[in-house]
Amino acid sequence: MKAITMNRRMETLMKLALITGTAVAAVLVGGTAHAQSAGNWSVSLGANNISPKVKSGDLSAPSLPGTKIDVKDATAAFVTFTYMLTDHVAVQTFLGGPYKHDIVGAGAIEGVGKIGEVRQVSPTVVAQYRFLEAQSPLRPYAGLGVTYAYFFKEQGSGALTAITNPGGTPTRVNADNAWGLSPQLGAVYAFNDRWFADLSVIKTFIKNTTHLSSGQSIDAKLDPLSVGLTVGYRF
Amino acid sequence: MREIRSWAPFAAVLLAATLAACGGGDDGDQTPRVAYSKMVSFGDSLSDVGSYRVGAIAQLGGGEYSINGSAGVNWTELLAASAHVAAPCAAQTGLQSTIPSIPAVAVVDHAGCYGYGQGGSRVTNPIGVANAALPAPQLGQLTDPVKNQILRHLATSGGTFAADDLVTVLAGGNDVFMNLAAIQQGLTPTDAVTAMATAGGELGAYVKSMIVANGAKHVVVVNLPDVSQTPFAYALDLQTQGLINTMVVQFNTQLAAGVAGTPEVLLVDAYTQGRDQNARPASYALTNVTTPACDLTKTALPTSLVCTASTLVATDVTGYEFADTVHPTPFGYSLLARFVAENMIKNGWL
Repeated sequence: MKAITMNRRMETLMKLALITGTAVAAVLVGGTAHAQSAGNWSVSLGANNISPKVKSGDLSAPSLPGTKIDVKDATAAFVTFTYMLTDHVAVQTFLGGPYKHDIVGAGAIEGVGKIGEVRQVSPTVVAQYRFLEAQSPLRPYAGLGVTYAYFFKEQGSGALTAITNPGGTPTRVNADNAWGLSPQLGAVYAFNDRWFADLSVIKTFIKNTTHLSSGQSIDAKLDPLSVGLTVGYRF
Repeated sequence: MREIRSWAPFAAVLLAATLAACGGGDDGDQTPRVAYSKMVSFGDSLSDVGSYRVGAIAQLGGGEYSINGSAGVNWTELLAASAHVAAPCAAQTGLQSTIPSIPAVAVVDHAGCYGYGQGGSRVTNPIGVANAALPAPQLGQLTDPVKNQILRHLATSGGTFAADDLVTVLAGGNDVFMNLAAIQQGLTPTDAVTAMATAGGELGAYVKSMIVANGAKHVVVVNLPDVSQTPFAYALDLQTQGLINTMVVQFNTQLAAGVAGTPEVLLVDAYTQGRDQNARPASYALTNVTTPACDLTKTALPTSLVCTASTLVATDVTGYEFADTVHPTPFGYSLLARFVAENMIKNGWL
């Protein structure tokens, strides 16, 4: 529980920093022209919260029937690179993390709390259509992309070992990497010709299998919602 | 700004992210949420970690009521490992055999050992299954009842339990067997059920007045699994199976009433869990919940106490719930240990 509180605190702090940074940038540079036109490159930095909306299968035998998992949210810094193919079509790449998620018991083992954790990076490439004119300060956009979720540094726990391999070696966790489809909605607000803020909401449809060293496995739809806010610079 | 060169930082970050991602997982924090100093266990054969691993029994490679092997197998030993405390050892060993081919072995108390559970022990009555006081020949199990086990522990521990003791209690099965045997001698089934209810109430009272009242803060009380769903019961008629179930339910009801409202006690419902394992064996990777894994015609005695890998019904008994007619296989014990652990974790005890 302590770890979750810490995460939330960090998340709040990062958000605060971003909002402040955005405001300062806006004041400092003011703004006139706001070009997001064909051939532009831009890079932006910020924080992204990934909140899995887990639909867990059952842990395979031997286990209490209905043993499920849930995966908690995580926040990390991320960077995006955007290239305007035309005045309206952009290609954006997300790189961030690593995101550290707690894995908690659910279903028949609801209440056991944290049973493990996993880190992931999930680079995503989206094609976006940006509405309104290239010079418009506020440009909403819609996108569709692909995500590759790479899981690593999975950790078990004493609790996981006790309910999967009591008296034996600690149970290890290995989450399969997976591809997912990622629709996106967002908006870019240009403070001026160079600086902008970008708010992005991505839903990723992704499922994977997590394997335990006890020989058991569990399938889960992770389907995270990612909310990211960045401040960027156009070259 | 449109040159290919623009891709350079992009590629560098991607590479860095990929490299950072390398490296395998690890065990994570295996430390239990409560720091226990030791396990103190009371009960019967299900918690016996070697009371009779002496003389002929030891020579046969036996000592625990399961499939004996190199490692400890019963649920208390598995739970001790999960709780990061020393493996329990038998607090008392010996054998008062009246079987001519099996010599008696002197009864010895072992200081520093807190595994009090003995095969054959009842809740209160000192004459349990295969006790030497019963008509010969008997294996001569010591069958010190749970009440006396607790008294012995208090006598060597300054009359108290340590606040960081993990105490386990599981008994009642031998009260079922002895009361069933008494029916053959004329006890009415109604009186047998009453006797079980009394025993359950007594066990609950001992837990509260002798264990909790003397300082224990973490007492795991496992109720009696359904003896009517064992190979032992399947060999009996349906009416007797029903009677056994009633005896178990009455015992558990009074036990639950006896420990109710005691935060130092975690009552684990092994009765319901065992019935679920019987109803949905595949979920638990059980393939045989009806017949023993030990070939009791090959064992020197008709009990898993002397069952080893060389006396099994088949080379591969993976998925068997029962070692003999009433005791679990190591896997059966593992399922019980997992269930107890899960209850303890939910309660913040592990």
